[in-house]
Amino acid sequence: MTSSTVEKDALSELLEFHWMMDMIQTVDVGIVVLNRDMKIKVWNGFMEAHSGLLPSQVRDLPISEHFPDIKESWLKQKLKPVFELKTRAFITWEQRPYLFKFRNYRPITSSAPYMYQNVVFSPLVSATGAVDNVCMMIYDMTDAASAKKMLLAFQVKESEARERPY
Amino acid sequence: MLSVLICDDSMVARKQVAKCLPQDLGASIHFAKHGQEAINAIADGKGELLLLDLNMPIMDGYETLETIGSLSLPTKTIVISGDIQPEAAQRVKNLGALDFIQKPVNAEELRNTLIKQGFIQQEESASPEPEDLPEEIRDCYQEVANVAMGQAGDYLARIMNVFVELPIPNVNLIEISELHMMLSDVDKQESTSGVCQGFLGDGISGEALCILSDSSFEDIATIMGVESKVDDQLQLELLMDCASLLVGTCLSGIANQLDMHFRQGHPVVLGQHQNIRELIKANERTWKKTLAIELSYGLEDFNVKCDLLLLFTEESMDMMTSKLSHLLED
Repeated sequence: MTSSTVEKDALSELLEFHWMMDMIQTVDVGIVVLNRDMKIKVWNGFMEAHSGLLPSQVRDLPISEHFPDIKESWLKQKLKPVFELKTRAFITWEQRPYLFKFRNYRPITSSAPYMYQNVVFSPLVSATGAVDNVCMMIYDMTDAASAKKMLLAFQVKESEARERPY
Repeated sequence: MLSVLICDDSMVARKQVAKCLPQDLGASIHFAKHGQEAINAIADGKGELLLLDLNMPIMDGYETLETIGSLSLPTKTIVISGDIQPEAAQRVKNLGALDFIQKPVNAEELRNTLIKQGFIQQEESASPEPEDLPEEIRDCYQEVANVAMGQAGDYLARIMNVFVELPIPNVNLIEISELHMMLSDVDKQESTSGVCQGFLGDGISGEALCILSDSSFEDIATIMGVESKVDDQLQLELLMDCASLLVGTCLSGIANQLDMHFRQGHPVVLGQHQNIRELIKANERTWKKTLAIELSYGLEDFNVKCDLLLLFTEESMDMMTSKLSHLLED
């Protein structure tokens, strides 16, 4: 192989890496990577836009620094099986409406006071087979949550109306 | 000639152990499906060496060891089990077992253990018993579930620092109408909370149901080291954590044996404080027949009752059976 084809391969790999990073940046799901010390390694565009915090402002800081609502002891307990057993951990909006208090994506047409979130913690297995980092994915569940809340409210109203027919 | 008795409720496991016995052991091999059969066989002189499973119906491995001890029966026992918690090994040794081998057993490990314990002579091997296919496949799934659950139990024990009472997995091809009946073990009087979670990979898809009886929550909170008051919100959190742990570890145990990987969807809350019937009513329309693996977990010294149901779609079964075919080879 000549040195110019090696350079070409390296360049195309670099370009590929670039658009892949762009994809992580722009995907409409929050992506945060945490290491074993609960410090933030990756903070994608979704997180940046909704929190108003730049990656440079949060990188290498513990998550509780900017979000004191997220207790480190609680998060550690939650992440223990993810690090140790390589299983996923989940939080649903029913259990905890949001992990990060973000504003509702549609401030005009939606009545929800904040963004309901589903959160997945997924182990990132390194080349050595160990889990040194955990990827946290934050999904916007506001529409589903509002619909379900409306349905429940309707059911309650309906059953109350049946009990009192006058 | 040395007489060897293999005691396991799973036919696949019995065959596998028999296959792994060294050719030069020169033993006559006998089988027992549970502890009581084993005790009778030993009394008939058919078990100088006993290879014993722990999780069995009627009389489990621990009870068998106790009975052997109290009757001073002439046998030496090596335990072969999917329960790989460190405490299980210690318990059986305290009850008089010579050694402990983890499932799935392999020929080399069994041979080394037999050498270490001073058995071994020469010639003669096991003659596999004839059997019909459906039973064989059912048994195969059962054994896979058994091994997966042993691993899951070990993980749980390490994370929560408790001794996990491992159930015998119940494997059945069932219709939707039968699902309710299958869950009748879960106390009818008691209200339950449940989550379900879809999984798929390599043409195999299904759903995991994790159902926890409401009376379990106080104890689970204690085990997980939660100090605040156990309200609905916290119960949901505990349920979610339990489900993630059980489903995650069990699925990865099964996936490992199938040499594949499952993707898990996000878990969905089925309901809180309802009876079983109400919980699974919602997905009644979507399927007719399913391969169901039912696991009932308990924790020693705690009032915790948790049922895990792994339901595989009918279409998944061909793929699973072909992936498991190596277990069925003679």
